[in-house]
Amino acid sequence: MHGRKRKGVAALAVLTIASLAIVASAFARADAGPAATAAPNAGCDSPTIGFQGPITGDAAFIGKEQLGFSQYAIKKLGGGKIKLSQQDTQLDPAQASTTGTKLHADANVLAVVGPAGSQEVLAVAPIYKKGQRLPFISGSATRTSLTNGSIPNFFRVVPNDSVQAPTTAKFLRQVLKAKHVFIVDDQTAYSRPLANGVQANLKAGGVKVTRNSVNQKVTDFSSLVSKIGDDVTHVYLPWQIAANGQIFGQQMKEQGKKAVIFGSDGLDSGDFKIQGAYISAFAPDIRGIKGNAAFIRGYGKKFVSNFGPPMYVATQAAILAIQKACADGDATRAEVQKNLRATLIPKTPLGGNLQFTARGDVKGAKFYIFKLGAGGKKTLVG
Amino acid sequence: MSEVEGTPEGPKIGVDEWVARSEERSGVRGGRLAPLYARAERLPWWALLAAAVGVSALVPFISSSDYVIRVAVNTVLFALLALGLNVVVGWAGLLDLGFVAFYGFGAYLYALLSSSQFDLHFPALLSVSIVIVSSALLGLLLGLPSRRLVGDYLAIVTLFFAQIYVVLATNADRITLPWNDGPTDISGGPNGITDIDPISILGYEFGSTRSYLWLSLGVFAVVVVALQFINHSRTGRAWRALREDSLAAELMSMPVNRLKLLAFMFGAATAGLTGTIFASVQLGVFPQNFDLPLLITVYAMVILGGAGSIPGVVIGAITINVSLELLREPANARLLFYVAIGLGLVTLVRPWRKLAAICVGLVAFGIVAYQLAEWLRPAWVSGTIEGGRFAGLLDGWVIHPVDSTHLGNAGFILLIVAVLALTELRGIWRSILLVPTLYLAAFVWENRLVVEPSVTRILLLGALLVVLMSWRPQGLLGTSRVEIV
Amino acid sequence: MDWDFFVQQLVNGLTLGSVYALIALGYTMVYGILKLLNFAHGEVYMMGAFAGFGVLSLFGGALGVTINVVVLIGLMLAVAMIGTGFLGVAIERFAYRPLRNAPRIAPLISALGVSFFLQSSALLLFGADFRSYETYEYIDLASGIHWGPLNISVVRIAVILTAFALMFGLTLLVARTRLGKAMRATAFDREAAAMQGIDVDRVIVATFFIGSALAGAAGVMVGLVFYKVYHLMGFLAGLKGFTAAVVGGIGSIPGAMLGGLLIGLSEAFITGYVSSTFQDVFVFSILIVLLLVRPSGLLGKADIQKV
Repeated sequence: MHGRKRKGVAALAVLTIASLAIVASAFARADAGPAATAAPNAGCDSPTIGFQGPITGDAAFIGKEQLGFSQYAIKKLGGGKIKLSQQDTQLDPAQASTTGTKLHADANVLAVVGPAGSQEVLAVAPIYKKGQRLPFISGSATRTSLTNGSIPNFFRVVPNDSVQAPTTAKFLRQVLKAKHVFIVDDQTAYSRPLANGVQANLKAGGVKVTRNSVNQKVTDFSSLVSKIGDDVTHVYLPWQIAANGQIFGQQMKEQGKKAVIFGSDGLDSGDFKIQGAYISAFAPDIRGIKGNAAFIRGYGKKFVSNFGPPMYVATQAAILAIQKACADGDATRAEVQKNLRATLIPKTPLGGNLQFTARGDVKGAKFYIFKLGAGGKKTLVG
Repeated sequence: MSEVEGTPEGPKIGVDEWVARSEERSGVRGGRLAPLYARAERLPWWALLAAAVGVSALVPFISSSDYVIRVAVNTVLFALLALGLNVVVGWAGLLDLGFVAFYGFGAYLYALLSSSQFDLHFPALLSVSIVIVSSALLGLLLGLPSRRLVGDYLAIVTLFFAQIYVVLATNADRITLPWNDGPTDISGGPNGITDIDPISILGYEFGSTRSYLWLSLGVFAVVVVALQFINHSRTGRAWRALREDSLAAELMSMPVNRLKLLAFMFGAATAGLTGTIFASVQLGVFPQNFDLPLLITVYAMVILGGAGSIPGVVIGAITINVSLELLREPANARLLFYVAIGLGLVTLVRPWRKLAAICVGLVAFGIVAYQLAEWLRPAWVSGTIEGGRFAGLLDGWVIHPVDSTHLGNAGFILLIVAVLALTELRGIWRSILLVPTLYLAAFVWENRLVVEPSVTRILLLGALLVVLMSWRPQGLLGTSRVEIV
Repeated sequence: MDWDFFVQQLVNGLTLGSVYALIALGYTMVYGILKLLNFAHGEVYMMGAFAGFGVLSLFGGALGVTINVVVLIGLMLAVAMIGTGFLGVAIERFAYRPLRNAPRIAPLISALGVSFFLQSSALLLFGADFRSYETYEYIDLASGIHWGPLNISVVRIAVILTAFALMFGLTLLVARTRLGKAMRATAFDREAAAMQGIDVDRVIVATFFIGSALAGAAGVMVGLVFYKVYHLMGFLAGLKGFTAAVVGGIGSIPGAMLGGLLIGLSEAFITGYVSSTFQDVFVFSILIVLLLVRPSGLLGKADIQKV
């Protein structure tokens, strides 16, 4: 009675071979461009910038806006020649790693913008460092250790946690005279190191700290809000999802809690508008900068968070580096990386000039602190 | 599956004739390919395994792209996971929703034993053996509730376990230990553990993706051989008896509890082993790697392929992982979309005359609709179609408005309604509605779905799962069984 | 911490729990009749929340509500419940009915397919941004019960009361009406019910309609009390509802209510008194112990195995 099983195994063979054939033929396209061709990286025929971001999944609100602004930059500055290859990572390092291999294997890809999260940067770094090194520029990964020199082809256009955490802690201690700070991280790779940094800094300054954390996927924070004691003066929320910060703030109001919220740059978004709260931001008010009006109008769509504009700048840097490399007719990734290192973009939509340090950080990075007024109107206070 | 032993010819003793002939009744598979099946059937299983592994091992020689090889590695890893889950779900019939926790446990344990996290750098073989043994023990522990709980209650308890695992992996970076001052970092928290040692065996270090492909194929072959033997052993038969009716199995004096625990241990050990390879391929482990979406994917592979069948679940893994990767490329997705529609038409619409009429009608409908739209509102046809050569073919046929988002969304909703209505209608009305529905599908694809390839990818996967399951509820290579509820 | 803190957490837990209970009811009703785990239920709830948001936007949005707030909320609930009811019926018709006689595990994958499809449809149609009901703009959250340090907003009270009213209505429907009787008969033995002249297909359709409508109501209520609406909100909520249904004893309607409340309350109290970081670990451990003591859930009946 092995008939059924045999039949199954037989079908396995047939299907395996068939699927392998399909795979081979389908991937033939991926194969035609890269290393297989005689002259690798003469990639100026159809120069491509890879995009990695969470376009679907829980962090889609980040990825969609990042993708929109990257496409905007390509359309506006790419001269119709440079293409964008979008890859969805769902903020999952495994997906980042697979799509990273895909981009790395495509010889037309000369630079990558993204990925979004620090843990994803860690996952793709070993891939991008291999063989023909692929330079990549993140628009949102802020973990400090990423630019300790171990990833020579990594750049980022936002300042890292070693700037944000001390700025925040200093402001809380010296300007706001915080006595007791209630810190809640949201259990993400973005939030945890930031919360740790601020907590250590505050403790060293003699401020009492209560530490909590909560999963960013939950919808209700009221039982955590109830835990905020009467002696708590400030609540620090280094959160990715501004809408969650808004819920937290409203629930504090509902329960009559008087403490003042201080949010990280993740809360620097139209979704968070608790009157009297403070937020830190990696750029001056993007919507308020003079000369940004045309830039915002050109985007054409509504955008609420500030995850998008840095990706515009990152894509802009990549485009300029590729155009410079292609000026002589051919370009290599090494050339693009060299050009990136020498990037100088005056007056980006983020306010200042964009230049990279030797380790890939933004030169002269600083954080701004805003106080929110009625309807979320921002006033610069530090 | 061979539930019934007996001689192939003549009436079977002690067997219900109707049940005994179930294979004949369902054995119409193949059609014109039947002779091919018959020939392939005569091959022993090990020859087919050798062929499958051999062909897969040649992938690096067919394509030099690291991406293709990486996809092959991922597929083999998924196949291993599906095989492990198949032991628990397909053979023993225990709904285990905590399965990916073992995968994560294996990966994390390997990472802890062979990285700078605690500065332990055990030799790979030692780490892997430790991982396999501890995963099996953890499987034993998780299996214990199965002594008391059955069905969905067992499922939910194992699901709790998976959830607890992810919470612990995410938050075990600030644990206060009694003997240590300040918080201790065990798991690396949301940032995971990186810089894991690559696997090295007898001095050979696995560094490149292609070497990992061969390693994982080797492991795959070993696991398949082991499972094949178990499947034919007393234990394998006892598992199936347990799945069909645990009460009857117990009456036949089978050690039901021990069998359940054994199934959990086998599944867990396979998952743990797969985890070690995954950790060393990715050179890092992160909590997001082992969350529920992965569980869903592996379950889809097992059930889609046909729970209980070794080749089935492997095919399931290949189908799902490869189609997900192919859909990353918008050009492939478009091809797949139109080919699927075309194949559906050819197989479902009979006779040929009707099919021809529909095709002609479709072309005519498009041209009329286009002209009409151009005449009514020029803005409806002055948008752009993406995608090179193909665009030229469609220009003048498919409407492409400037405001593709809003009209595309409306078209999408209308398309869903039309498809649903199509399955309800009968006769001539169905053929008449089919033409505008097909046109609408092309309209939605070219205007809305093509600009959102990443969303479309998940959308198509969902539709694929629904269609495939209603086409073959028992899975691609599964066997239909009479169930007593 | 003291007595006020305890009561505050009780209210927090009740709010969350009544929402979980409403979602769990849909799971348990469908399971009772078809022995099917409808994993697309969470997405139905998400669609309900979006439907409510659509109604809100239609009448001026949060900042400029053009009609009476009570009427508005009634309308949001009505539209969401009817819409999701029909959605549930469609899901049954196209994803589950073809699999009525398939192995029990097969519809699980269809359900996942439906769930992927609905999630990405929502992403395609509504985008990835978070939408907010912004209830605080048209209802004064300060109105409600204030009793020393204890604060319970009027929205919370309304949500808890509505949830209980819906559960009470459902109980009456199942216990007193002809349809309820038919549902109970079908759940007990589908074939025997068909032989008694009950139109089983119709009962199943009605069950899906009612269960999905309850999920739709839960979606609107979550929007009102916790504001945030987005395309993946159904995943976790569905999981919690499923958990509640199983813990209460799957197939049992009072069990689902009890299970939902139990989970909501234990989440609130664990966060309040133990740890918010490891909330899930503690909650799930409690539930595991509970299930080991009562292997068929709180109010479930031990299965009689047929041989």
